[in-house]
Amino acid sequence: MELLQQIGTGFAVALQPTNLFYCFVGVFIGTLIGVLPGIGPVGAMSLLFPVTFKATPEAAIIMLAGIYYGAMYGGSTTSILVNIPGEAASVVTCLDGYQMARKGRAGPALGMSAFGSFLGGTASIVGLMLLAPPLSQFAIKFGPAEYFSLMVLGLSILIYLAHGSMAKALITAAFGIVLGLIGLDSINARPRLTFDRLELVDGVGLVPIVMGLFGVAEVLLNVEQALKREVFQTRIRGLLPSARDWVESRWPIVRGSVLGFFLGILPGGGAVISSFLSYALEKRLSKHPERFGHGAIEGVAGPETANNAATGGAFIPLMTLGVPPNVIMALLLGAFMVHGVQPGPLMMKQNPGLFWGVIASMYIGNLMLLVLNLPLIGMWVQVLRVPYRILFPLILLFCLVGVYTVGNTVFDIYVMILFGLVGYLMKKLEYEPAPLVLAFVLGPLLENNLRKAMILSQGSFAIFLTRPISAVCLLVALFLLVSPLVPRLGRKREELAVEEVS
Amino acid sequence: MALGGFVAWSGWDLELGSVNDPGSGFLLFWVGLIVVGLSVGVLVSALRAPAGPARPIWAGARWDKVALVLVVLVAYGWALPRLGFVLTTTVVLVFLFKVVEPQRWSVAIGGAVASALIAYLVFKVWLGAQLPAGFLELG
Repeated sequence: MELLQQIGTGFAVALQPTNLFYCFVGVFIGTLIGVLPGIGPVGAMSLLFPVTFKATPEAAIIMLAGIYYGAMYGGSTTSILVNIPGEAASVVTCLDGYQMARKGRAGPALGMSAFGSFLGGTASIVGLMLLAPPLSQFAIKFGPAEYFSLMVLGLSILIYLAHGSMAKALITAAFGIVLGLIGLDSINARPRLTFDRLELVDGVGLVPIVMGLFGVAEVLLNVEQALKREVFQTRIRGLLPSARDWVESRWPIVRGSVLGFFLGILPGGGAVISSFLSYALEKRLSKHPERFGHGAIEGVAGPETANNAATGGAFIPLMTLGVPPNVIMALLLGAFMVHGVQPGPLMMKQNPGLFWGVIASMYIGNLMLLVLNLPLIGMWVQVLRVPYRILFPLILLFCLVGVYTVGNTVFDIYVMILFGLVGYLMKKLEYEPAPLVLAFVLGPLLENNLRKAMILSQGSFAIFLTRPISAVCLLVALFLLVSPLVPRLGRKREELAVEEVS
Repeated sequence: MALGGFVAWSGWDLELGSVNDPGSGFLLFWVGLIVVGLSVGVLVSALRAPAGPARPIWAGARWDKVALVLVVLVAYGWALPRLGFVLTTTVVLVFLFKVVEPQRWSVAIGGAVASALIAYLVFKVWLGAQLPAGFLELG
């Protein structure tokens, strides 16, 4: 009964005209950037970060969340029609989606992708709604030792799943922690690594770093390679999948929803991994695995459902523990803080309107996306035809203006350019930028909780091992970090990384 | 490796504190040391790797375009407070449209002017952002 009341509160917030408008803007922009290769949800969210400053906390989070799950919808369009993923979570959709388009079945592929996304997204919101309250109660028991160990675990999973060398991913994460510690020490207000620059006293901004690493660096990589894309020339008709399509897709959709939701909850996991694992699972369970890669609709339905289901799951650690499980949630944490809201176990009690309003808005946003993606598919196909030589100056313009308006200082523009170059070189030398950003956000929290735990335990490191939750987190983290040294486990990790890259 | 060494030294300089009460440099020092250790590991494994043809990460790369875009972005940062938002943005966009990926003058100039004005209207007029006016005093 209480749950129904809370959902009612959420819908009362989400259905306010302003919040509906922001929700629509979020899902519309999300779909747009999902459709356009070259800019992902992280870049788009950081671009629109300043736009939310004048909005209420509810409207701001509703819009940013809309960009995230909207991008998951839009990404499939580019994969199916162009064979280039609009964003990373749609890479696997290229395999069968594009083959379906080549066989004249672009309509059912796009339709099933939209329906699967809707069903996966909705299932994950129900999961979020049911799991968040008990987890918040549980999280109240967390102390500094548990928070420290949980963050170490989150970073370890992200490092474990990074492509290529784990040592490189660890170096990147360590660099992120150092960047996060620049500025005044939160305990004794001592300046650290500020080089006597006034601009660095408050630390380096999240937005210039993210825009540099994900916006400018992506443009530099595309400009370097002269990206060419051709939209598959076909009339898209019959978006509604046939009865046979539904029969073949029903279990992949159910499995994708469950898999995506639970992988989304895990720190370091998320939409990309869930889509790959869903594809692998469907291929393994299929009676005709040879159809995969040649236009099997299950290869579209499962991954597209899973990557949307993961978006709902990813909100759980952020909203119940205050710990972001991935880079996108780290950006959302930044948005919460800008608006004076601290996500965590007490958020549900202190800000029920915001907590339930965001969840309710996701139901509404998913419905909006279904409308945007089915009848308006022709419009997105036209967007795909905009050449990159026109797009990239506009992306750079948004990066420049967006970064400047956050702090009204040219210094932030230079920071963004520097990280654009760093991100470009990192991609070239096979260093992943995601651990850097997550470590940058978690760095100050990690340090704060470490120091508090050490003060509480009077200098005994045993506090991290005598508290059960903390001990389990640290043991799992240790297992993940040393596993590449065990040949069999190391091969397993490489397989996962290769699957992701290919 | 050098960066890790510098971070560790900075942490040491900031004071490590005691285990009962870690100081400002405690985490920096240890993270710096970890970076040094990992860098040594990466270097050793690179040296031990069997000699083969170097991976052509720069082969076919139009790095001159990359350098050009970076120079234009730095120039934007320099000119913004001096020339103002509208003028700087228009000039830089014409350059990006025309020089980096050449296309017709009409597209370059029309696209640049329209984009700069739309950005001005959205950020300055609608969102109330403070954009530099420059000598044209458009801001």
